Amino acid sequence: MEGLLFWFCGGFLLLGGLMMVLQRSAVVSAVWLVFAFICAAGIFAVLGGVFLAVMQVLVYAGAIMVLFLFVIMMLQGPVLEGERKLMPVGMWPLIAVPPVAVLLLITGYLRSDATVAFAAAPPAGFGTVEAVAGLLLGRYLLAFELISIVLLVALVGALALGRGERNQPWK
Amino acid sequence: MQSEILLRWIVLVPLLGAALNGLLNRRLSKQISGLLACGAVGVSFVMSVLVFLRLTGMEPESRLVQDTLGTWMHLGAFRVDLTFAMDQLGAVMALVVTGVGFLIHIYSLGYMAHDDGFQRYFAYLNLFIFAMMTLVLGGNLIMLFVGWEGVGLCSYLLIGFWFNEDANASAGKKAFIVNRIGDFGFLIGMFLMGTTLLPHLGAGEGVFNFQVLHAHAGVLAPVATAVCLLLFVGATGKSAQIPLYIWLPDAMAGPTPVSALIHAATMVTAGVYMIARLNFLFVLSPTALAVVAAVGAVTAIFAATIALAQNDIKKVLAYSTVSQLGYMMLACGVGAFSVGIFHVMTHAFFKALLFLGSGSVIHAMSNEQDMRVMGGLRTRLPITYATFMAATLAIAGVFPFAGFFSKDEILWKAWSGGNTLLWAIGFLAAGLTAFYMMRLVVLTFFGENRASSEVRKHIHESPATMTVPLIVLAVLSLVGGWIGWPHFMGGGSWFEQWLEPVFASGAQIGAHGAHTGVATVDVLVQNAQMNHAAAEALHETGVEWTLAVVSVLWAVLGLVLGWFVYYKRATIADGFKKAGGGFVYRLLLNKYYVDEAYDAAFIRPGYRLSRSVLWKGVDAGLIDGVLVNGSALAVYLFGSVLRLFQNGMIRFYAWTFTIGVAVFVLYLSFSS
Amino acid sequence: MEITLTHYLVLAGLVFITGMVGFVVRRNALVMMMCIELMLCAVNIVFAAFARLHGDGGGHVFVLMNFAVAASEAAIGLAILVEIYRRRRTVNVDDLKTLME
Repeated sequence: MEGLLFWFCGGFLLLGGLMMVLQRSAVVSAVWLVFAFICAAGIFAVLGGVFLAVMQVLVYAGAIMVLFLFVIMMLQGPVLEGERKLMPVGMWPLIAVPPVAVLLLITGYLRSDATVAFAAAPPAGFGTVEAVAGLLLGRYLLAFELISIVLLVALVGALALGRGERNQPWK
Repeated sequence: MQSEILLRWIVLVPLLGAALNGLLNRRLSKQISGLLACGAVGVSFVMSVLVFLRLTGMEPESRLVQDTLGTWMHLGAFRVDLTFAMDQLGAVMALVVTGVGFLIHIYSLGYMAHDDGFQRYFAYLNLFIFAMMTLVLGGNLIMLFVGWEGVGLCSYLLIGFWFNEDANASAGKKAFIVNRIGDFGFLIGMFLMGTTLLPHLGAGEGVFNFQVLHAHAGVLAPVATAVCLLLFVGATGKSAQIPLYIWLPDAMAGPTPVSALIHAATMVTAGVYMIARLNFLFVLSPTALAVVAAVGAVTAIFAATIALAQNDIKKVLAYSTVSQLGYMMLACGVGAFSVGIFHVMTHAFFKALLFLGSGSVIHAMSNEQDMRVMGGLRTRLPITYATFMAATLAIAGVFPFAGFFSKDEILWKAWSGGNTLLWAIGFLAAGLTAFYMMRLVVLTFFGENRASSEVRKHIHESPATMTVPLIVLAVLSLVGGWIGWPHFMGGGSWFEQWLEPVFASGAQIGAHGAHTGVATVDVLVQNAQMNHAAAEALHETGVEWTLAVVSVLWAVLGLVLGWFVYYKRATIADGFKKAGGGFVYRLLLNKYYVDEAYDAAFIRPGYRLSRSVLWKGVDAGLIDGVLVNGSALAVYLFGSVLRLFQNGMIRFYAWTFTIGVAVFVLYLSFSS
Repeated sequence: MEITLTHYLVLAGLVFITGMVGFVVRRNALVMMMCIELMLCAVNIVFAAFARLHGDGGGHVFVLMNFAVAASEAAIGLAILVEIYRRRRTVNVDDLKTLME
């Protein structure tokens, strides 16, 4: 059952990513990315992170991607003019170098039989809201508070940028 | 107040004056600036007197006041303290420097009154007093050296005081560079001394502390000759002895009070002071002492002959200074350190007076220094004339003026030490001194005035600020020598007695060295004994009387001859010029062509080396070609490669970024 | 076939490469930002996989932190894009070459 879910979700995750890259329209790309994120939520669920899976759908596929779509709607017509042309063929090998290198590494790694198996079952309560909340407000309290400050700063920064230059208080 | 603490203020108050004058400069009015400067030196003088009085109240053997501000450097066994110390020798020097310095400050008020750089001048002058006091009151050789360099700096600044004239700036540079040559020797000597001494020191002993040096003089005995000769190289630079005297005549480019203070009365005697201070070292090396004596004697006669033919009033006095410094060196060289210092003191009085008098003359003559256009100033400048005459009699060595006592004593020590040749040279130079001084006086003050009518109209006696120091110094030139009134004339040689503890121990070291087989100076042992019993014995022989009378007669003869040749029978003077086909005269007029010889021997080859190797080769070729342009070329080439990456394409940046990540990942995976 | 940690790592690697390549080849700044999100997602998978391996929920906490960082980055990045668009009337990065000067 776990294996089946992994292949299913993993396969569609990759497909979603690829389609996002290959589509010329930003809106279509965004929709494929939502699809990929939902598949990623499935992967989290397979790994026992139920709370993560929920958050992935709510925050990522929901909130963040909606933000993207809003901006796309504001800024962009259907397809960006420059996106119509492909990269020149001469550039392809150059662009292929890093991914090929990493792919080579992965295949080499797979051949080496250095696979690591998981424990038969995760500990009781693993990945539940209660367990994550305990860690978040216990062991990682400081990080939790700091990340809230990061969010706050981002909020203020986004506001300041979004106001437009004419409305800046220092102008 | 504790008089120890006064010592630091003796040194620091002039520094304070210099700082105020130097930093505030034009913001101070001339009155306040002059008041500050004179006040600083005056306070310094008063404090010197206070400490001196305290010294007189002490036991003769333990006369020493020390003031330690703290440790300056402490590196392993090497330790230098910021110590000021005043013993009998330091007291004499301090009183002379601050006393004469104070008078010259007062004089400068009048002399520099119309100068634009008034405040700057007094800042330098105060700085000089600070440096000189550091030199004479420094408790160790390092402090002495700091002062030594400090006075050199002030000398340079003041020689080139009117720096907008090229010649003055060059003279300043010449003084500085020539002194650097001497200082080079001085430093090497100090290093040698330090490295020899360091392994033998106890805990907490400052290596260059004079007392420590004194206590360990025995350790230094093997290197004493080298050390002393090297130190003497420094002294020849600072005290203008052959071969490094050439800067002093040029140094007359500075304001005349500066010539009086720095280049006659105080700074140039630093070499003599240094030798006297390290007497315990010099007595260990008969060779070094012989060299000192010989150089001193030769300088004395050499400079005196040059002075015969000079036409610039200050040049005559400059060569006269060189000659008198030779006397001091001669005294030190024959082991009569106290007499050398005695001559330093009396010379400070009468030579400062001569320079200040010449300054007064120059002032009256609208800055004319050539004696050939002077003359007849006797009636126009009565005070200057009278005081100048007193100084002339003093330098000529006429009884009872100050110069007589010190000069006669030097000649007597040379004679009694068995150095008849040195005595003869000194004696001859004494006659020449009297002669050229009379020539100077006659050309300046007697006969008809040869100046243009324009200048003649402006001739006036100097203001009181200038004449009062002249009068004070004239009195000192008369009575200043009396404190050294010798035994044989019924006096007490008080000056010598005062300094005796400083030098007696040196003599003891010398005598001790003789017993233990270390080479030493017989003369010195003799001198040490002579101070007591032998002096009495010699006194009875009447030799001393005879010599004294002869030297006075000799001086008077020189004066009379000078008077006769240049006033009564001026044709004889012209005859001199033509004697030997005029060759001798030209030789003297051109100072034996020493400057030209140095030019040909050192300066031109130096220029050639600089031009061909250092400039064309090293500077243009190596530094400009390879280093400067080479590095620029390397940066250019590197940049032209890097520029390809700076193309503004974000995606290109991202791509190079991913390449970097790929390389990093591959490295990590294959390296483990 | 048993699913091991290795499977998840390979999957994450492939997703990451997809995002990386997308970032290089796409000209639309909005899509480039989406690619960044995809790469972050790959990282999240690795975190979750290791959390499962060690049975420690710390990995989950880090994923949540990543969500916050991604949200901040998206907010700021998009705000900057909006501002750029206001000035330049484009989100094509090939037209935004001022970094060269």
